[in-house]
Amino acid sequence: MNKKNCRAFPGLVLAGTLCAGTALAHHSPAMFDDKQQVTLTGTVRVFQWTNPHCYIQLQVRDADGREEEWSLEMGAPVYLQQQGWRPATVKTGDQLTVTISPLRKQGEHKGGLLLNAIGADGKPLGKPTGKTL
Amino acid sequence: MSVRVPLTPVALLAVTLALGACSRDRADEHVAAFARLPDWSGVWVADGTQVNIDGLTPTDPAAAAAPFPETMVFSQDIPWNDAGRAKVDAVMAATHGDPGINNRSGAGGWGYPLMMSGPAPMQFIVRPEVTLIVNPYRDLRLIYTDGREHLPAEEGWPPTTWGDSVGHWEADTLVIDTIGVREPDDYQGIAAPFSAQAHYSERLRRTAPNRIEGEMVVEDPATLTKPMMVKLAYVPAANMDRMIYDTFTNNRSGFDGEFNTIEVPEK
Repeated sequence: MNKKNCRAFPGLVLAGTLCAGTALAHHSPAMFDDKQQVTLTGTVRVFQWTNPHCYIQLQVRDADGREEEWSLEMGAPVYLQQQGWRPATVKTGDQLTVTISPLRKQGEHKGGLLLNAIGADGKPLGKPTGKTL
Repeated sequence: MSVRVPLTPVALLAVTLALGACSRDRADEHVAAFARLPDWSGVWVADGTQVNIDGLTPTDPAAAAAPFPETMVFSQDIPWNDAGRAKVDAVMAATHGDPGINNRSGAGGWGYPLMMSGPAPMQFIVRPEVTLIVNPYRDLRLIYTDGREHLPAEEGWPPTTWGDSVGHWEADTLVIDTIGVREPDDYQGIAAPFSAQAHYSERLRRTAPNRIEGEMVVEDPATLTKPMMVKLAYVPAANMDRMIYDTFTNNRSGFDGEFNTIEVPEK
């Protein structure tokens, strides 16, 4: 077994990054353009702490000043929980700056995969509890 | 005709004391049986599979270069025979190399054996007569350790997603024998497509306070040229002071014929 093992599977759109844990998702991640990272700043309309994915609905103003809503997909609650997130980590009205991998095919409704989120205080969201069962 | 013998107070006391002694003996045996078991309490996660909040990228960058586990169709370390390779090729051709799209059918978990290598944390509930392995996606394995055999073949039980497991303890090692597992890719598109005749043998042991290790041997002449071993290792899951179980109440994943999509929220 070697590194090539996890990088050379033919036909897999994201084979360059899909290894071990990366590929074990509820659905294929090929929908996201992992070569692109986009930064957005906006206001949270709603945070969905749900299976199979959590979502942040972020209201963002575009270059023309028009407000548009982005659907930002995250991992399942159990993955966020391990990173110190809890259902109340994000609240409606919070100001966030997020980095995302956008959908490869953006339609009228924008979306992407949320990679990290910074709160209004400039700190990454999520606070490790240090507690385990 | 029955004969009634009146219980004298002395006889009644003797019976009561005898019953109490039996009950205490059973309780003592129960306590002793638990005391012989290792402590696998806590929430555990397969080492190297911990992911960031995107649910995809490993928290340990080194894990990004790790090979796929041999329970996944992407693994290049599975000794497929011609029939097994043909199954893999068929899956890949049908999904354009992206078998994860098959999960738009809504599989709620990984199924066995993939769940033993996946990123979903697990709990091992160890009792004398059974060990329960469960993850938040409702993947559930019951491993009977009370001496029973597998389900009788003559009763005709069909394969299931998690199979039929029996086991026993060798000192502090749990030895598990599993059969009757439905083709894993039938439930989870990215699972290695072993046959329903596959035989799985596992050994698991807590080797350190923060580590459970073991191996799984897969024997499946229908798809493999030889038995294959999968290394297993689990570490405590961070920040998991409790496990929260829930169903899929908000599946916003669609499919446009080429890629998955994010559907607009209902509200």
